[in-house]
Amino acid sequence: MVNGFSPATLQEALEIRARHSVTPYAGGTDLMINPDPDAVYLFVNHIPEMKQIEQRGDQLHLGAACTYTQLLEHPLTPAILKAAIDLIAAPAIRNEGTIGGNIANGSAKADSVLIFFVADASLKLNSQSAERIIPIRDFYRERKQLDLRPDELITEIILPTKWLDHYYYKKVGARKALAISRVVFAGLLTWQDDVIAHCATAFGAVSGVVLRCPELDALLIGKTRSEAQAAKAGYLAAFGDMIAPIQGRVSAEYRKEVCLNLLTDFLTSNGI
Amino acid sequence: MNQGIVFKLNGQPVSYTGSAADRLLDVLRQTYRLTGVKCGCNEGECGACSVLIDGHLANSCMVAMGRVENCEVTTIEGYSQTERFQVLEQAYAAVSAVQCGYCIPGMILASECVLARHPHPSETEIRLGLSGNLCRCTGYNAIVKAIQIAAEKGEGLW
Repeated sequence: MVNGFSPATLQEALEIRARHSVTPYAGGTDLMINPDPDAVYLFVNHIPEMKQIEQRGDQLHLGAACTYTQLLEHPLTPAILKAAIDLIAAPAIRNEGTIGGNIANGSAKADSVLIFFVADASLKLNSQSAERIIPIRDFYRERKQLDLRPDELITEIILPTKWLDHYYYKKVGARKALAISRVVFAGLLTWQDDVIAHCATAFGAVSGVVLRCPELDALLIGKTRSEAQAAKAGYLAAFGDMIAPIQGRVSAEYRKEVCLNLLTDFLTSNGI
Repeated sequence: MNQGIVFKLNGQPVSYTGSAADRLLDVLRQTYRLTGVKCGCNEGECGACSVLIDGHLANSCMVAMGRVENCEVTTIEGYSQTERFQVLEQAYAAVSAVQCGYCIPGMILASECVLARHPHPSETEIRLGLSGNLCRCTGYNAIVKAIQIAAEKGEGLW
């Protein structure tokens, strides 16, 4: 085809990626908003190796070219990821859009990316000569700056599922469907024997990349309910210092206030 | 690299020899003259350009031609030849669910996808299924009603 390659296998796709200057095309729903007329696309939307969904022990392996609809309908997809996908765009976009594309687009407003951050997911990146697995937090250097080499493809998202059951997710947008997040928040908190065994939070749409501060969430880990209640003010204040939102369509002050309200609600909903 | 993009368009095999980066929407309207596919927003927000790709609803403004290779693309022109369409057409007419009509080709294909998935849809299932198709005339209630009527009258078709 003219200006495009449509490989049948991952191996073939990686060979093309190594030899040509191409733009990987998974769902196209971000690329086609402002398409480059001179782009040469590498269509990866139907590559079988990139569409698999498989649980291996405590990790769910999601092919990067899985569409949102595929994940919404799959029994292995965790509820927190379904909750996020359910509020992304509308059915026609969810039928095409992929999780790998959402990551590669590099936006901190990407709603599925937030879930991968709060879950401390890793990405599998393949080139013809090598494979590497890196935490998603290291993959995003800053807005639109990704640790992806020109010969690599994002092939898989590796999602640790152990702590995902007890989640809090809230997206604040201008309307219910077809909304771009003004602020989006996800929190995970698991009690074991009256002690907080795990706490993780992530904020989307507030800075160049998704904000994830495990060192602050660690303030609550290992605490009993009363200890956590005593630590609450300090925890919120620490996040208050950390959150310095970007000014966009909504003011930075508004974004920050919403972030702290959501964080407070997350704690309250967990009895803290 | 000079082979055309082969796909089925409304049941007929075709080969597109232009760029794989071209928009499906533009190609449908300009090359194949299927002008029932409308351009509203050109950014995946309004659903006026909805088509079916292998039976799934897609915004053709958000699809590059290379993506449809070996796929089956159905526009309102092809869908209007089906019995299901006749049922939807009559139901839309019965409750005056069409006003200016610009959104209707996309709305009909979205209706098809609602009914293919839920032959007896709840109101919520209908509204979620139409959530990517904007209509500035009707206020949606008549369209929702039309789909409920089509589900009833077309019993067994979906």
